[in-house]
Amino acid sequence: MEKYLSIGNSFFRRQYAPHLLVTLLFCCLSGFFVSFRNLNGEQAAKVMEMYAAFTGILLLVPLFMPEQNRELWLLEKSKATPLWSVYCIRLLAATAALALVVTVFLQLMEQGNSQFDGRALWVGSFCEIFFLGSIGFFVSGVTNQAVLGYMVSVVYFFANIGGSQYLGDFALFQMMKGDYGFAAPMAGAAVVLVAGGIWLREQLAAK
Amino acid sequence: MFGTLFWKECKQVLKSMVYYLYVAVFVLFLSSQLGSEMTDGMEQPVPGQDYYGTTVTHDPSAVMASTLASLVSETGWNSYATYPMGFIRSVTLNETELAEIKGIIEDCTGKSWEELVQEEEEHFSGYDQGTMEGAINAQVRYEVVPKETLGYEEFCAYMEKASEIIGAGSSYSKESLGRGVSVPMTYEQAAEEFEALCSKDRVTGATARLFCDYAGIILSVLPIFLGVTRCLRDKRAKVAQVVFAHEASSGQILGSRYLASLSMAFLPVLVTAFVMQMPYQYHAKTIGVTPDVLAFLKYTCIWLLPEVMAVLAISFLITEVTENVISIFVQVFWAVGSLFAASGLRGDFGLQLICRWNTLGSTNAFWGQRAEFLLNRGFYAGLAVLAFALTIVIYGKKRREGETIYGKIFKHRK
Repeated sequence: MEKYLSIGNSFFRRQYAPHLLVTLLFCCLSGFFVSFRNLNGEQAAKVMEMYAAFTGILLLVPLFMPEQNRELWLLEKSKATPLWSVYCIRLLAATAALALVVTVFLQLMEQGNSQFDGRALWVGSFCEIFFLGSIGFFVSGVTNQAVLGYMVSVVYFFANIGGSQYLGDFALFQMMKGDYGFAAPMAGAAVVLVAGGIWLREQLAAK
Repeated sequence: MFGTLFWKECKQVLKSMVYYLYVAVFVLFLSSQLGSEMTDGMEQPVPGQDYYGTTVTHDPSAVMASTLASLVSETGWNSYATYPMGFIRSVTLNETELAEIKGIIEDCTGKSWEELVQEEEEHFSGYDQGTMEGAINAQVRYEVVPKETLGYEEFCAYMEKASEIIGAGSSYSKESLGRGVSVPMTYEQAAEEFEALCSKDRVTGATARLFCDYAGIILSVLPIFLGVTRCLRDKRAKVAQVVFAHEASSGQILGSRYLASLSMAFLPVLVTAFVMQMPYQYHAKTIGVTPDVLAFLKYTCIWLLPEVMAVLAISFLITEVTENVISIFVQVFWAVGSLFAASGLRGDFGLQLICRWNTLGSTNAFWGQRAEFLLNRGFYAGLAVLAFALTIVIYGKKRREGETIYGKIFKHRK
């Protein structure tokens, strides 16, 4: 356990801190761009889907960044702790940070006298934001290029502005229309993407 | 030297997966937005049509009627669009504030809130809301007439009060009212507009503007990734020190990189624009107008090139300074903000990164705002040059120091 804590701690201090800081800054600036006061269910969903959604990209895509240099793969493979468990620790930490961000946004809206179904919005927002981030996580893991991961996630977000009707259950911005049925398939897809990303990366490392 | 470096850089871009994704996303986005139905909006207007489009007016009575209509609609939804930092922010009021706004509306119109809601419902039920044209027609024709005794100055004072309740940057501030309102065009105005479309725009000019409107959205984001990828490549390939030691000057190295990235980023824009203009050239000929075959080239170079230059130059600058991907967060945020910052989808260029003209035609209105538009694009071209010059200075400093700014300078200070 101590070993895993040390891995997580080292990742936070050496690699993840700037990304967490950017996420914190993004959250602190939210008051200038979105209102948290007197929102109804759809309006609260809009805040989460149009603004808070970006935190998924900020938190999940950079998780493979420490090993962008492929020579490090050999070094890390020579150690007793398997790489996939290192990735899982990072993913767990990022997921916890994401859950915290979602909770804080919902809390801010509740304090602003907004009326919405907190549980449904928390679950829907978490699944959607995690899914958006997992797309970039998968791409950056498979291509070993974080920039590509960011690009695909951002493009997916933009594609949903005009083309969400073609994406079925994987379309973003459904809560704004009052539809929460997407959460389970989207959560499933997100799990497949993160697991697939880690597995494929392990296969690449084995070559 | 420069030419050799330039070609090498172009080949580097061609080897990048990011570039092919850039091209694919750009072409898909444009082809999904621009369809052949665009030619439907180019028909000569005939007397007796239901709808001829809209035009902007500053006539006080029209401003009052249209602004009150907008206030009634937004109050009905309890959702007010504001632009406090230049970016859109929806505001929802509590019961007390909402009652105050309703009071202002009642004072301005001399009617009760219930009467106004009923009038609004009656108005909108007279239009087919299922079609885009019906919905737009209903919206632009919706007016709430103020009471006869209400003067324009008094009206402005009421709106200022409403603006204070709603918050900074609301659509009811004095500056916002000064921008005028959209009203339906008459047949005469529509005929004049069609004449301008044929004579000034020669059809292809209008379609070029619409192309640039859509392309401008996606080009505010896509070049960021090319810039960041290029700037981080040396570090990733661990050749930064080798390049630092190269005999070429910082200006030559970065100049070749920047120009190669810019050329490769702009090449698909030009090709797509050229291909997409073909049907409209043909259409112009069918309605007896000699098309401006160079319109797409002129518009893309003036409208889109400064934007791509600025986005690329700033991504170069931020990435050279920080040596990480932070430029992506900053610039995507800027692009999304700029996209939602426009108070409308037509004009109001200001210093927006993304210039919007989401309409086919409105030629006279565009020519009326041409100076503001050119100033905007000139600003971004200047910003690009400034950002690029700064990047050269920083890169030169990194070469002299023998290491990175982000890291070594702090270490030297220890």
